[in-house]
Amino acid sequence: MLQAAMTTVLHPVPASSGSEDRRIAAACAAGDAQIFEDIYRRFGASLKSIAWNHLGNISDAEDAVQETFLKIHRSASTYTGEASFSTWIFRILVNTCYDVLRKRKRRIDEAPIEDMVETAERTAPSVDEAKRMTLRKLLHELPEQRRSVFTLFEIEGLSHAEIGEILGITEGNSKWILFATKKDLQTKWKRK
Amino acid sequence: MTITCNQIDDLLFDGSPLAMETAARHAAECDACAQTLAAWNELSDTAQSLRTTWDNDTLWPRIERAIRAERKRPMRWTSRAAAAIFIIAALGAPLFYMLRVQTREAAFDRTIIRVSALDEVERTERDYTRAIRNLEKLTDAKLEDSESPLMVSYKEKLMLLDDAIAECEANIDHNRQNAHLRKQLLAMYSEKQQTLQDVLREDSDVSNP
Repeated sequence: MLQAAMTTVLHPVPASSGSEDRRIAAACAAGDAQIFEDIYRRFGASLKSIAWNHLGNISDAEDAVQETFLKIHRSASTYTGEASFSTWIFRILVNTCYDVLRKRKRRIDEAPIEDMVETAERTAPSVDEAKRMTLRKLLHELPEQRRSVFTLFEIEGLSHAEIGEILGITEGNSKWILFATKKDLQTKWKRK
Repeated sequence: MTITCNQIDDLLFDGSPLAMETAARHAAECDACAQTLAAWNELSDTAQSLRTTWDNDTLWPRIERAIRAERKRPMRWTSRAAAAIFIIAALGAPLFYMLRVQTREAAFDRTIIRVSALDEVERTERDYTRAIRNLEKLTDAKLEDSESPLMVSYKEKLMLLDDAIAECEANIDHNRQNAHLRKQLLAMYSEKQQTLQDVLREDSDVSNP
């Protein structure tokens, strides 16, 4: 596998204006090859991180990112501009991850999650790897929506308003889900 | 702002920098809340370290190829099926509408014909019964006056026929379009007409020996 070292990224998703978002969507709908590459350069890191934190392995995460780009290509003409383009892309990615998880659940010979969560050399010496492993395991035990809210807020640094748009819930609901999830994780965290 | 231990959850739920700062100030003086806050923050810190990416020089070329292939690919069978359904619906809808209108018009015409035919039958029936009642009036006196066994027999037969006719007419009132009942009624009226004519003939025979 052509995997290089996995790295921890701390950059938030760059914001863009509504007119810029519509221009990007129109270019995607027109099949502009360059615009897809720009999107990949701009959002690729976040897309890979979100997918990896949902799916637990690089191979599935890359497939989900690829599928997301194909879906963007197919449905860019339906982008209305109500949500930001990044939010729209993340929504497609999260739904793609849900599809992968459901397919995986149906597979009889599914490997246990411990085996699927890949470990790799990382550059984040400030936090203990064991803690990361524990949290990753706990995250994979969470229901889809809770995992998404936690991942998007705590890991990706998105706002509750953005998460609400991505997951089709209210901002308040997102806030409540995060609080309940963190409480739940905290209890399990203490037990581990 | 001074807070109590009960409010720590509200501050964690709020999650804003101000709320977290307030919680931290309280935690500095409260061991239990300090532990809660430490665990909360540890969870967030660990979560932030899970933001992960990796380099894969082949991923973008792979995505690019997939997009290019998708652009070149002819319509997928699902899209073709959707297009076919759309065309059928687009062409079929006006046809279906026209047929429906024609069917409705035909049904309306049939209803009109049926109603007018029924009106005609009832009109004819009314004329017929009126004629029989006139005939009946001519026989009334003879039937009332005569004590001959034949006349008494005619009288009884006519009474039975009248009862049967009344019952049949009551049934027809509930089901106007029942042709069978109307045939029965016609048969009874014919019988009554025949009987009345027999009475008159008898009368003529008596009057003109």
